[in-house]
Amino acid sequence: MPFEVVLGAWVATGLTLFIFTFLYQDNPLFKLAEHLYVGVSVGYTIVKVYDTVIVRLLYEPMVNQGDWSLLIPLGIGMLMLARYVPKIAWLSRIAFAFIVGVGSGLAIPRVISSYILKQVEDTVRPLVSLTSGGGPTFTYALLDPASNLNALVLLIGVVSVLFYFFFSVEHIGPVRVAAHTGILFLMIAFGAAFGYTVMARMSLLIGRFTDLIEFADPRYGRATLWLLVATVATLIVSRVRRPEQPTGGE
Amino acid sequence: MTFAERMLHIDRRIIFLVIAVCTLVPLLHPVGLAIKVSPEVRGVHNYIESLPEGSVFLLSMDFDPASKPELHPQAVALLRHAFRKNLRVIGMTLWVTGTGMADLVFSQVAQEMGKVNGRDYAFLGWSPGVGSLIITMGQDLYKAFPSDYYNQPTRELPVLKGIQTLRDVNYVVSLAAGTAGIESWYVFGKDKYKFELGGGCTGVIAPGLYPLLRSGQINGLIGGLRGAAEYEALIDRRGRAMAGMDAQSATHFAIIMLVILCNVFYLFTRTSRGPSGQRRG
Repeated sequence: MPFEVVLGAWVATGLTLFIFTFLYQDNPLFKLAEHLYVGVSVGYTIVKVYDTVIVRLLYEPMVNQGDWSLLIPLGIGMLMLARYVPKIAWLSRIAFAFIVGVGSGLAIPRVISSYILKQVEDTVRPLVSLTSGGGPTFTYALLDPASNLNALVLLIGVVSVLFYFFFSVEHIGPVRVAAHTGILFLMIAFGAAFGYTVMARMSLLIGRFTDLIEFADPRYGRATLWLLVATVATLIVSRVRRPEQPTGGE
Repeated sequence: MTFAERMLHIDRRIIFLVIAVCTLVPLLHPVGLAIKVSPEVRGVHNYIESLPEGSVFLLSMDFDPASKPELHPQAVALLRHAFRKNLRVIGMTLWVTGTGMADLVFSQVAQEMGKVNGRDYAFLGWSPGVGSLIITMGQDLYKAFPSDYYNQPTRELPVLKGIQTLRDVNYVVSLAAGTAGIESWYVFGKDKYKFELGGGCTGVIAPGLYPLLRSGQINGLIGGLRGAAEYEALIDRRGRAMAGMDAQSATHFAIIMLVILCNVFYLFTRTSRGPSGQRRG
């Protein structure tokens, strides 16, 4: 096993255990791992952005290929830095105006097409299908997203939720019934979202545990076991050495 | 304090311990519960299966190490499938913090499948812009990525021969942990350049992507670790996702039981207090 792989395993195991210690209580090991995470992320991002944007997309095309037209976006980008000089801070508005203008121009038509028109098109589905003989039929299969029953459920769901968010009329009578039906649909949606979130968080835990089990192998020098002992010992020492916390609410 | 009240004020670290045990035991002693493949995961698999040899497959790994446990197994399974089908694979990422990890996945799976960088696959790395990057790729791939991750000029890569824009790509799959991801690829890519698009995502964002699936804006969706396990089952290659499914089921069962117990104890405390909130004597 190469040394750098074993070293990586020890670092990953240590940081995972340090982060897990927060489940017991806040402590210096957790703080160390937390700050390292933030620092490494920012450092990595700065290096990658510098290498990709400044070196590969700007410097190399200009110097090696003579593409001096790149001076225009470079100049607009540099105007952003004018914010740090109060006297010429107004120059940065040119760069912001460019970003907002181009961004809006690119995004607005595409977003309207993708999120509104396409979704409306999918919501308006026939409630009755035609058989091969030409007669009308209604399919009841709940598990089939294309069934007529599901088209009806979708229609009721969309209309009732829209009623719930319609505040121009008082929610009494039939409007109240529609709004309450909307709440029901919203609750089901929130429940589904929460269920998926639980699944996702458990998956993250499984991922870390899988790594910890793998790194407990002798090939990695039993990193998990040694670092677990060291982490628990550090927690005990820090607990013993910590001065007594005042108790009670006085 | 009644038993129900004591249970409602239980130290949360005991619950953490229960979840840890429920996760650890099945990982150490798996029982191999059955995995049923959903139509949305089958959608991605079947489309890749239908592509002829030499077709162009673009995998955009739009996540960072924080989502690795869910999306890494999906990436590995997709790459194994694509390489087994002898597709020409292009890799990239829209997340700068995921660049190194994406490269590692590509190089490890390629080595395992006997594929060569530049000839069988290309890893383009990261470039800024998201929306404008995808649009530029739709107009000229080589303008968006003049060089690949290893600083080789992309025009000279044999694997990219005949590919000029996104219109020449047969299938794009975005593995996303948020924005930028599947939605960006649809909004700025598929809607304009008309390639087929599939997705893989973390469990957290999966419910928000089902409307895109239903409307046909994406042709398949691999959701979370569960979706990765289904894909591993489809390609008949057991990986980390399938190994984690027993633990996933055990933790879900534990959480369902805890929710039920909490509600039962809460009802007990309410009935013992009565309508005024005071405990009944």
